[in-house]
Amino acid sequence: MLRRDFVRAVVSVSFAPRLLLSQQATNPAPPLPAPVPWTQGLNPKTPLPHTEVPDGIAETEQHFFTAVQMATLVRLSDVLLPPIGNKPGALQAETPLFLDFLIGSSPTARQKMYTDGLNWLDSESQRRHKAAFAKLDATQADSILKPWLRSWMSDHPPTESHAEFVNIAHEDIRRATVNSKAWSDVLSSDEQMPVAAGLYWYPIEPDVYAESSDSARMPAHVIAAPKAAHAMPVYPR
Amino acid sequence: MTNETFDVLIIGSGHAGGMAAKILSESGIRCLMLNAGPVADVARNTEHKPAYELPYRGFKPPGRLEHVFQASEFNANVWVDEREVPYTFDPAHPYNWVRVRLFGGRSLFWSRQSFRLSDYEFKGKSHDGFGEDWPISHADLSPYYSRVEEIFQVAGAMDGPPQMPDGNYVLDNEPWSQSMQRFIAAGKPFNMPVCKQRRALGRDGLASSVNLLLPDAEKTGKLTSISNAVVRELTIDKNTGLPNGCHFVDRLSRREMHVKARVVVLAAGTLESTRLLLNSKVGNSSGLVGRYLMDQVYGPGVTCSVPEARNGKATKELMGGGAIVPRFRNITTKNDAFLRGYALNVTSRIAPVDPRNFAAYGAELQRKLEEYHGSSFHMTMMGEVLGRYENHVRINKSKADAWGIPVLHVETKYTENEYNMAKDAVEVGSAVAEAAGFEVLSKNVVPNPPGYSIHEVGTCRMGDDPKHSVLNKWCQSHDHKNLFVVDGASFTSAGWQNPTMTILALSMRASEHLAGEMSKRNI
Repeated sequence: MLRRDFVRAVVSVSFAPRLLLSQQATNPAPPLPAPVPWTQGLNPKTPLPHTEVPDGIAETEQHFFTAVQMATLVRLSDVLLPPIGNKPGALQAETPLFLDFLIGSSPTARQKMYTDGLNWLDSESQRRHKAAFAKLDATQADSILKPWLRSWMSDHPPTESHAEFVNIAHEDIRRATVNSKAWSDVLSSDEQMPVAAGLYWYPIEPDVYAESSDSARMPAHVIAAPKAAHAMPVYPR
Repeated sequence: MTNETFDVLIIGSGHAGGMAAKILSESGIRCLMLNAGPVADVARNTEHKPAYELPYRGFKPPGRLEHVFQASEFNANVWVDEREVPYTFDPAHPYNWVRVRLFGGRSLFWSRQSFRLSDYEFKGKSHDGFGEDWPISHADLSPYYSRVEEIFQVAGAMDGPPQMPDGNYVLDNEPWSQSMQRFIAAGKPFNMPVCKQRRALGRDGLASSVNLLLPDAEKTGKLTSISNAVVRELTIDKNTGLPNGCHFVDRLSRREMHVKARVVVLAAGTLESTRLLLNSKVGNSSGLVGRYLMDQVYGPGVTCSVPEARNGKATKELMGGGAIVPRFRNITTKNDAFLRGYALNVTSRIAPVDPRNFAAYGAELQRKLEEYHGSSFHMTMMGEVLGRYENHVRINKSKADAWGIPVLHVETKYTENEYNMAKDAVEVGSAVAEAAGFEVLSKNVVPNPPGYSIHEVGTCRMGDDPKHSVLNKWCQSHDHKNLFVVDGASFTSAGWQNPTMTILALSMRASEHLAGEMSKRNI
């Protein structure tokens, strides 16, 4: 062996472990658990699936009003906002079932005003016409409703008990109907009342309220099992 | 570990904080701005949607924002949720505290009405004996108003009576519509001046701190801003007794942090600035921090129809335009039923008339809506609420917000003065409308709850006497020379006017004074 070959061999032997150690010290990334990381793939070119609102396709399940109250609300909605011209009425917009959902989600005072109001309508109907409000014709229903209709300004509905219910329910029925998909579908561009729409603000950054809400304090549906008790599956290869 | 001490700490980023940042940073002063909420990006955070695509068809989400009458499902996410940042009050005397914590605060969402206070407000006590005079007059603030009006591009006409001083306006030379001319003529027997509306045009459709003030401050390179910084309390230098920074908590992570500064400028909005002072136990040797909460009476009004504009006959010559009727009560004569006065916002529009103006339903209502379409004419009231010691806020130690910061208890109510004023406004408004030949469709004399106007002012009022005021005429604490409150908290009286122009002018004036004192090393 030539002297320079001997020196090269000695140098390479003495340096190699240090080189290997220095490579290990850079803490290389662990191998990927799968061919593609979970969150990489969605990108601006990804097509967005087209979805529909469920209204008109699925039916809202009734949870809040009793059967009698709902029958009264259905009749009230039809009387106050029937189909006019090509515009759908409250029933075509599925307003009564939407209100069952809305009022069922509302504070107690609002719920009470509605249930008391619907009960009053039915009892008044029984007293005057010996029939449920749901069975009244338009003239009979008008005789009960008309005396309580008022004109009023925003945020200041009438405060008399029956007038409060009749006028607020009227406004809610109108708004739920005018804001419905059914109403939107039939409006043409030359209508006086355009489709109800606006600039919607999404939640801006995660809101802390969600953390403090009742729902956040409920236990998670799925709790990860402790490691020791979790038997790993073994697959034959 | 950072040990940086800023020249000035500005808490709040709305009109008041934005103006302070602009003036101070342009004077070469290094500022740190903290804002409790995130930055709102319209391109990222919004989408135009039909109501039926929203979970509640456009109804306000049930149980949320009960005291924000202005909220709808479309904008529900921009307001402070009172379950996250609660406040308390006697249920018999509710208070509507309407708040925005986004960067830019409520300057992102306001009606743009832009008025100066007059000496009927600055020197109200001298005029009628009630309350206290401000330590400044219109002449003191006028140069600052002019500069603010230039920045905000306020449109108006030079038609103001003494109780509504004219300013530096983008001139409105549009002729009055015929319906407005009839209203003006009918108002003369009531000695009612009718003036062109005054509103900030802003730039590119917005008149906010984020587009008119903060960019100037950022250009200097002297402004550092942190979002989502919920300030817990001011910190005090143990040696000097002076405020020297604050503790804050990150809104999202809840990480507790602190910053240091030589001067502290509070601009968090009237009640949040006051809450911070009370929680920090500073600046209150007078015992008046939290006292004299005021706002303006909103809610009363009259809705009318112009008969000649019905059945599709509305034209631009007949309908359209806005007017302001500045306070006309208790100016040259004395009203026995109430002190001070109110203004009326008057609007003529070729627009649908709201269905609630008709006691009708179904096909009959539809016929009315079609007949009356385009004939809308309405008036709404803005009435001065008197400054009373008993109307106040204090800390409720038994309740805290989402970050554990004690909340405010609000104790305020309107008195016969405000109720009588509201009654008068509706009576006069109805009488003038009828004299003009309009049909009155609906009217309301009941004020909305205090706070609804979003014009809460006072609670750290300014004055010359440290025993009877919290701040001096420079919005500077009587107790701590390096502590300033530049938002609406400094107001000594409320006036009938939208307070934004005055807040901006006061913040500009206070900030220039502060910059001068800092350059002279007096602070």
